[in-house]
Parts: sequence; structure tokens; C-alpha cells
Amino acid sequence: MNKYFSVARLTWDETFVYRLNFVMWRVRAVLQILTLYFLWLALIPTGASLFGYDQSSMLTYILGTSLISSIVLSSRSYAVGDEINSGNLSNFLLRPINYFLYWFARDVGDKAMNIIFSIIELTVLFVILKPPLFIQTESFYLLLTFVAIVFALIMYFFFNFLLGLIGFWSPEVWAPRFIFIILLNFFAGGLFPLDILPKFIFSVFQSLPFTYLLYFPIKIYLGQLTIIEIFTGIMISLVWTLVLYIIVQYVWRKGLLVYTAQGR
Amino acid sequence: MSARSTQIALSSRFSAVIFVIGKLLRFAFFFFFLVIVISKTNTIAGYSFWQVIFFFATFNLIDTAAQLFMREVYRFRSYVVSGEFDYFLSKPLSPLFRTLLGGSDILDLPMLFLSIAFVVVAVVQMEAVSFVGVLLYLVLIVNAFLIGLSFHIMVVALGVLTTEIDNALWMYRDLTQMGRLPIDIYRQPLQGILTFAIPVGIMMTFPSKALMGLLSIQSVVIALLIGIILFYGSFKFWQHAIKHYSSASS
Amino acid sequence: MVISVSHLSKYYQVHKKEPGLVGSIKSLVARQYEKVKAVDDISFSITEGELVGFIGPNGAGKTTTLKCLSGLLYPSGGEISVLRFTPWERKYEFLTQIAFVMGQRNQLWWDLPALETFLLNKEIYEIPTKRFNEALSELSTFLKVDSLLKTPVRKLSLGERMKMELIANLIHSPKVLFLDEPTLGLDVVMQQNLRDFIREYNKRHHATIILTSHYMKDVESLCKRVVIINLGKIIFDGLLDTLVKQHAPYKLIRVILKRNVEENILRTLGRDIKFQYPELIFNVPNEKISETVAKLLQQLPIEDITIQDPAIEDIIREVFNSEQ
Repeated sequence: MNKYFSVARLTWDETFVYRLNFVMWRVRAVLQILTLYFLWLALIPTGASLFGYDQSSMLTYILGTSLISSIVLSSRSYAVGDEINSGNLSNFLLRPINYFLYWFARDVGDKAMNIIFSIIELTVLFVILKPPLFIQTESFYLLLTFVAIVFALIMYFFFNFLLGLIGFWSPEVWAPRFIFIILLNFFAGGLFPLDILPKFIFSVFQSLPFTYLLYFPIKIYLGQLTIIEIFTGIMISLVWTLVLYIIVQYVWRKGLLVYTAQGR
Repeated sequence: MSARSTQIALSSRFSAVIFVIGKLLRFAFFFFFLVIVISKTNTIAGYSFWQVIFFFATFNLIDTAAQLFMREVYRFRSYVVSGEFDYFLSKPLSPLFRTLLGGSDILDLPMLFLSIAFVVVAVVQMEAVSFVGVLLYLVLIVNAFLIGLSFHIMVVALGVLTTEIDNALWMYRDLTQMGRLPIDIYRQPLQGILTFAIPVGIMMTFPSKALMGLLSIQSVVIALLIGIILFYGSFKFWQHAIKHYSSASS
Repeated sequence: MVISVSHLSKYYQVHKKEPGLVGSIKSLVARQYEKVKAVDDISFSITEGELVGFIGPNGAGKTTTLKCLSGLLYPSGGEISVLRFTPWERKYEFLTQIAFVMGQRNQLWWDLPALETFLLNKEIYEIPTKRFNEALSELSTFLKVDSLLKTPVRKLSLGERMKMELIANLIHSPKVLFLDEPTLGLDVVMQQNLRDFIREYNKRHHATIILTSHYMKDVESLCKRVVIINLGKIIFDGLLDTLVKQHAPYKLIRVILKRNVEENILRTLGRDIKFQYPELIFNVPNEKISETVAKLLQQLPIEDITIQDPAIEDIIREVFNSEQ
């Protein structure tokens, strides 16, 4: 296990080297929250309520998804595609290290840095904007939020890794990823809480894995779900995690055959 | 020049098509979101449904037009790093012109047409549109383009000085994205910053407001002035950067 | 036997595409595959501590063989055993004892000091601290990069980076080393340094080393035993000396003339002659050397005369030619 901890630590060190890039990346994240924050502030003035959200719960949703985003959606695994294309994958096949765990460890290193910055940014924003936030006090909900986030983390890792595995068959790794990010932003509830959608559409969303990346965890935190809904949601997350795991394993094996057949 | 870069884009047709689809999706998703919200609230910051759509469509129009013509900027860094930029300096064609406008991407056209279509539809649906309003609208669109150009020039000049261009470009994109909706929604002092310090507001919101007759003559004049000053300033900055570069490179 | 290979074959399915538009359409609908025999039924074995050279033209199957031996490729047929493991199973205990050094690969983390990569490898290979420190000190001093360990890799020169890559590959003191064209792209000084290093490493650690190369200098200076591969088959496996004796039972007599001599006179003195005034080179069978030398000394105005072994390239070329 030490080896993976080392990998995470080295990834952390790397972000220090690319300080400027990283800070810019965070600045961009903040700008993106600001647009949504002010939009909803304009839509739901104090005392009003829209789609079942009052001002404080909506603003908590927006800022909360930003924080969860830095935990769940920060990742390096997209680089798998480049590594396969450049042939560097061979380096890993020759050493006693598990490729999945290696990349997961890299993600963890990246997430650690992102989480810290996100907390700092949100604190600053809190001081400046003084949003009315909803603070969850029931440890029961907090625990379940945490569980949901862990599942979300793993699911997203598999998604990203799968996108990278495209590299076995095509040098075009970035275009699919571009679309994926756009789709994800919409389907995960990063733009708006998914339950404002018409009932029929929303029920479709609930069977998709993306909903459980951002929307689901924050809803648990807000205490707006019933026990049954939480339980169902976690079950669905579990199922999707397993399905993705199986798909990743399958694609990896197939891809490896192609890779070694080409003798790179 | 643009024909050649279109060719190159087409040769990697798969990813090019994917990018176009991605952008259309992004547009569609935000549009869908606006529809859902307005269906419940009937207004955003005091604006009606079609007015909000108009703001959004105008934003897309300006944004896409800027990208269409100034695609080449995204390849700028590789030119500096590879040394190809030095060739630009030695050719008779103005290096600034080459850097900015050398790589129009035909694939931006669908987005452009879509934006124009929505602009037209929204104008038709809105009431009380005057001839003067349309005129001011067009004038301020050109002004917006001028401001966008100025931003790109500054970014490129920065790239010449530091080769660090990507972050600046992304900053530009993120800041202008805030103009997707009328900047009225932002509280002060953010609104003020976005209007005067970093003229996103002038770029994206003013044209639409002018059409709706919500912009005072002073504001129009100020907007044009800022556009011209910014353009002049960015150009000077570029010249300074080139001078510095030519004397420093070996 | 540290390495034993028995009837190893590796075939690739390569799809053939006919040129032109018709060909493109055809390839979309019904792909034609052609079987390429990269390695075709080869067998050999290597004992501990041997330094063996694999020689052959490009595409002969050398790199494919190494990749099969290291577990990167799954063989189409035959059996391989390295350190009593089956390579393609890629068991951790196997991987910790081998190293494969190939040209363009890099495992160093670009923005961090090389030392960090080494420490990571220490964790990956689970190297005890004492052994790690010894190996690091030995390698970095020998390669003269010990002062650069804490410098970010991107700030190092190409040569320094290559040395660091080498250390990263060897820090776990592998018992079996696969080197694929290690001197390719290096300048003459670096090539010599690398050869010295490989020789030292082999001696000191008694490591088993297989190296592929098409630089004769590498083979000459490092390998006692060579395996010649062509078109996927082994056409020679034995000591370099034997190769020379078997396929080159002749020597080169090199003569420098004082004055020019007419060609027809020269032709009476020997069959294989290369003449470019003032230099004259005769190919002479071993038995005829003394008599030829005597004849030359008598009949030619000689400034200088030397007897040389034939170039290995020529010998090997002859081996290929005789196979055809």
C-alpha cells in the first residue's frame, strides 16, 4: 500500500510545481460558481421559494455542489489515453504495480489539493457574500452524504478511466472527453438541482449514474430526501459502481490484447 | 489561410464533428434550463422569457463570431514554442493579423447560424422594438467584437512575453461566460467590475439592452469609448511585446 | 538455466488494405488479415550471469523476443521460463527481478527530481532501505550523476536524463536485464560509457543480460555469445569466436604502398582485392597467410603491412547471405 501512498504524494508535489496553472484552474472554478450563485439569488429573493427550494437551500445546493465537485470530479485519469497512445503503458506492465490503483492514487493526490483549495475559496466567498447557508446538524445525514460521495468518487473514476481506455483503439482521446464533460455538467446536477425537471424526465435521470455524482449527495446533506429515497439512491449507486467496474475490467482486457498485439 | 486550416480540421473529421456536437449540446442544455426556470417564474431579474433568450442568443452570437475568426489564437503558443512565430515576424503579412485571423474554422458556422436564428426569433417575439434600437444593437455588436478583439490581442501579447497563454485564454472564456445572462443579476460591486473594469457587460449585455431601449445615450457613448480605448491600448501593448521579443530572441 | 525458451512463436494479424478508394471500402466491409510471423519457432537457453547479444536486421524478431521474455507479449506458441516464472503471467515476484530498458520510454516524473522517482520505485519494488541506499550510491557515483539527484528532471540534459532512466530501471538490482538497442541515438562517448557500465554491472552483480543491437561495437565489446535472428528464426547461436572461425576463416591483409603499381600485377597476387591507392586490402584464407605475406613483401614496394580480423558486420552479412 505504501507504493500507492507514494504515488498520491508525488501527484500532490507535482501540483506545487504547476502552481500557477493550478491556481488559475481554481479561479476558473470560482468564476463558474459566481454566475450560478447570482442567477439563483436573482431568481429566489429572500423569503421566496421556487421549485420547492427557498433561498438558503438553493444557495447551499450551488455552493455545496461546488465543494462536492472538487472531491468527486477532480481527477487525473483522463491522461490514461495519452499514456496508452505514447506507449508508456508498457512501463507499468513491466513493474509490480496495479495500473488501476496507480491512477486512483493519482486522483486522490489531485483531489486532496483541490479539496483544500475549494474549502478556502468557499470560506472566502462566505465571508464576502454572506450567503444564508443551511448547515446540516444530524450526523446521520452527514454520514450518508459521505457514503454517497465515496460511491460518486469511485463511479467517476471508472468513467474517466473508461474514457482513457479509448486510447487503445483511437488516438482521439480529447473529443469524447469534451462531450462527456458537457453531458456530465448537465446530467449530474451541476447547473441546477435536477428535481426542478418535469417529473417524467426526472425519473429517467434517477436511473442514470450521473445523478449520483453531485445531485444525490447534496440532497442527502440538505435533508430533503426520505430514508427510503436515500436507501434506494445508495442501492442504485452501488449497482452502477459494480456495473462500471465490470465494464472497465472487460474493456481493459480487450484493450490490452490490442495493445500487446501491436507490440508497442 | 482559412481554407487550409479548415482542411486540416476536416482531416481530423471525427473529433471536429464531436466538438461541434458538444457545443450545440452545451447551448441546448442551457437553453433548456432557461426554459424550465422561466416556465415557473415568468421572469428573471425583471426580464421576460424572450428577452432572456435574446440576451443568451446575443451572447452566443458574439462569442461564436469571435471564436470563428480568432481560432488561430489557440494555436499561438505552439507557434512561439516551435519558433514558427519568428517566420510570422519576417513575412510581409502583419504578424498580428496572421496570429489572430489565420485560422477560421468552418465548423463554427453551424453555431453561428443557430445563434443568428435565435436572435431573430427572439426579436420577433419581443414587443416594442424600434428601428433605432436595432441600429444601436448592430453598432454595439460591432463594438463587442472590437472588445473581444482587444482581449485577444492582449492575450496574444502576453503570450509573446511569457509563452503563458492558455491560462489567460481560459480566463477570458470564463469571464465572458458570465455574460450569458444580463449582468443585472450580479450584485455590486461585481456588476460594476464586470461593466467597466473587465467590460464583459459592455460586450454582452449592452447590445441587447440597447435594442430593448433600456440603454441611455451616455451609456452607448461610454461603451464605444471604452471599446476604442481598449482596442488602442491592446494594440500598443502588442507593439511593446513584439519589440521586447525581437530584441530578446536569439 | 535462468532463461529457457522452447519453440517460441509469435504471430501478428495485420490487416491488409489495398490502395485506393475501392480498397478503403473493401477494408470497411471485409477486412483481410495476413499472418506475420515475427518469431517462428525459436529455442535457446541462457545461464545465470551470461551476457548475450541478439543481432539481426530490423524486423528480425529481436525486440518481439525480448517482449515475450519480459511478459509484455503473450506468445502464440511455445514455452518460456524466466527465473522459473512464466513471464506473461506477470507475477509480482517475477516483475521485481527483471528490468527492460527500451529507448524512448520514460518512467521519470518530469517535474520532480529524479530521486523522487527512485524513491517511488523503492516502494513499488519493496526494496529494503539499506539495499536501496547502496544501489543508489553505487549507480549514481558510477554514472557521475550523484550531484543531480535533487534537480527536477526537466532541467537535466538529455544524457543526464538517460542516466537517470537507467538508474530508475536498475535501482531494484534486477537479476535479469533486457536491453533493447541501448546505445541507439547516443553520441560516441556516451555509447562507450554505457558499454563500460553494462560490462561492470554484469561482472559485479552476476546479472543475466540480453541485449539487442545493430551496432557491432556493442556486440564485439560486450558479448561472448551471440544469437543471430533473421525473419523470426535463429540462424546462429554460439560464441562470437566460433562465429568468426566458422564463417570467416580468413583475414584481411592491409598494405600501404610506397608507389603506385599496375592493377594486373596486383591481380596475380590474390583474388579478393580492394585497391585505392595507397591502400590495398587482400582477403586471404588463414592457411595462405604466411605465403601471401611473403609474396607481397617480395613483389610490392610496401610502406606498411598489417594483418586484421574481418569486420563482424561483414561476417554477419555473410551469415545472412549464406542463409538465403
